[in-house]
Amino acid sequence: MDPTRTGPIALSEQRIRWLEARQRVLAQNIANADTPNYRPSDLQPFAKVLAGKVSERPMLTTNANHLQGSKQNDGRASKERIAANREPGGNSVSLDREAIRVAETDTAHQMALSVRRRYMSMFMTALGRPQQ
Amino acid sequence: MDLDRALRIAASGMDMQTRRLRVVAENLANRDTTAETPGGDPYRRKTVTFTNRFDRELGANAPKVRRVGTDPREFNSRFDPSHPAADNRGYVKTPNVNSTIEVMDMREAQRSYSANLSVLEVTRGMLTRTIEAMR
Repeated sequence: MDPTRTGPIALSEQRIRWLEARQRVLAQNIANADTPNYRPSDLQPFAKVLAGKVSERPMLTTNANHLQGSKQNDGRASKERIAANREPGGNSVSLDREAIRVAETDTAHQMALSVRRRYMSMFMTALGRPQQ
Repeated sequence: MDLDRALRIAASGMDMQTRRLRVVAENLANRDTTAETPGGDPYRRKTVTFTNRFDRELGANAPKVRRVGTDPREFNSRFDPSHPAADNRGYVKTPNVNSTIEVMDMREAQRSYSANLSVLEVTRGMLTRTIEAMR
């Protein structure tokens, strides 16, 4: 039995991957907080990724003529439709909202890692080795 | 790796704000720079414009400084016949720098800089935790 392929560990690893990808998207939003006509983007919620409605690694396109799946099952970052506070320059990044998301991502990352560590130490106990 | 890219995107954001701050500093430092010849043009305020370009290596839209241009607004003038740059009516053209606008710009750059800095800190924390999980 491979401990890394069982439920909780595989799940927490998937969660960590998603959170890392989200952190990159949020970093992009904040770095472009003063770029004219920039609209922030975000990943599809993790629940949707888990339900298998979106693919984490869709086909990459380098040309507009390439085949592409529909936007809805694209697990990559998508632009936000709601422009809550649009600046005169066309930028709609809200630093407060992005900060909250960064904090959320940080907490969730911490939790996913602790879950993973707990389960791994459980396997270590079963193997008769000292706990980490 | 995504976290590594996040670090580099945040760093590019900080770099851009630093350049902006450099232009603000130049404007404020030259607030009183007048021409040397009578009736000549003084220092013209510089402006910085941003754009973003898709960076294939980063896989993200990294912000870039598009260009540092000049502000086309009219110069201010002051009556000072004894000044070496005064024209025949006794007026000296002074730069079109408004210190309130510059200070506002500076504040905004500072705010954006610290937002990027906190992204950097959070990302670094995530990275450290991931490394610790490998032990």
